[in-house]
Amino acid sequence: MSSASEFELLGRVTIGQYLPTGSALHQLDPRVKLLAAAVLTIGVVSSSSVLGLGVLLASVTTCLALARIPLRYELDGLKPAAPFLLLLALLQVFIIPTQALNARVLCKWAVFSISDRSIVAGVVLILRFLAMAMGLSLLSFSTSTTELGHGIEHLLRPLQSLGLPAHEFALVINIAIRFIPILAEEAERLLKAQASRGADFGRRQGGLLTRARRLLPLLVPLFVVSLHRADQLVEAMEARCYLGGKGRSNLIRLRAQFGDYVALFAALVIVTIAIVMGRVDADKLILGLIGP
Amino acid sequence: MNSATRKVVIAGVMGAISVLLGATHWGFVPWLAGAALTVMHVPVIIGAVLEGPWVGVAIGAIFGAFSLLQGAIAPTGPADVWFTNPLVSIVPRLFIGPVAWLLYRALRRTSETGALAVAGVAGSLTNTVLVLSALGLLRFLPWGLIATIAVTNGLPEAILAAVITVAVVAAWKRIAVGREGSSV
Repeated sequence: MSSASEFELLGRVTIGQYLPTGSALHQLDPRVKLLAAAVLTIGVVSSSSVLGLGVLLASVTTCLALARIPLRYELDGLKPAAPFLLLLALLQVFIIPTQALNARVLCKWAVFSISDRSIVAGVVLILRFLAMAMGLSLLSFSTSTTELGHGIEHLLRPLQSLGLPAHEFALVINIAIRFIPILAEEAERLLKAQASRGADFGRRQGGLLTRARRLLPLLVPLFVVSLHRADQLVEAMEARCYLGGKGRSNLIRLRAQFGDYVALFAALVIVTIAIVMGRVDADKLILGLIGP
Repeated sequence: MNSATRKVVIAGVMGAISVLLGATHWGFVPWLAGAALTVMHVPVIIGAVLEGPWVGVAIGAIFGAFSLLQGAIAPTGPADVWFTNPLVSIVPRLFIGPVAWLLYRALRRTSETGALAVAGVAGSLTNTVLVLSALGLLRFLPWGLIATIAVTNGLPEAILAAVITVAVVAAWKRIAVGREGSSV
């Protein structure tokens, strides 16, 4: 017998909660927070220096403290990822061959070899993941979905004058976010209906085509129902004279204040430092001064 | 019916399906020894086939952004950690829709079902090839292992995508035709 949790899908679809602690970070303009997240992503991806990534991670942790997010929440979020992270870091250290020219091989045994470069690669992997994961959960802890929707739409608006459908894209994201719980409910209903008619989805037997055919009674109705709802939504929008993004104004106006600009500037400075550290190989410079 | 509004709504709804499949176990078909075949890219293919390449790009972007978020906040497997890099999670997924749409358009006159199947296979292979290439170029995995994964996971996934694409679009178009045929 399948457990009850197999049927309860709605609880699984919340990714990242919103924790309204009323801190200064929560009051920031959502556009600034989105831009900071984007800038953090660029920094994390472009910086190859352990110190640079450390700077990014430290600033993210500081922001979490400023936002008054309890450490417990943050660490709970990281727990499911920990074993995988460790596994991949070990993979980087032991198995991935390092093609760097000046890598010093520390020890070697069959396919496994550790060089100083591969250890750095492993550490970089862990730091990158932590910075991204904590940065993104900071964003979701401090910004509600409504704010995020407004932020995205306002950010993309300048692109509208270049001819790009910014409003439309922001609307796509809003519709997707609103539809997820609706579809989850629909999917739950379908699952129960099919199961009550004897469909067995949990079975792991059968070749590819058998398993594919077993999935169809679930997936096809899900898609078809969603497409029906899409049609209804289009009719509803047009019945309310929705004409698209041209010349459209908003009830909510986002006004950036001095604090927002300060925050954005700080984010840019920190990320620039991190990237520059990667470029000038700051690890060697600074650690060379302290290290052996 | 204003097609721009329809494109926006379909993109949003298909994006929502992709996220739902990724967040629950419906998106994962158990396969050899732990690794699963995924179907989250199929809404991208279906959206592109029904409404055009730009809708495909939008749904692909949503799929990619979600896999990035999932990798960072709620990973379900070791590979999710790699997906926190947007070059692995977002950029490759933008191409699934346009590729599927191109092939569907090219083959539609010959055979509707065949065109749908080819679009499904092509879209899925685009996903597999581009994501694995990103992992290889970023040196997350050795190329030998990548080739193995491409064959053992990528090919069955492509067939699965083709089956689902054909089933869904055929069911939808028949229903749409049926509705227009009724008199009020």
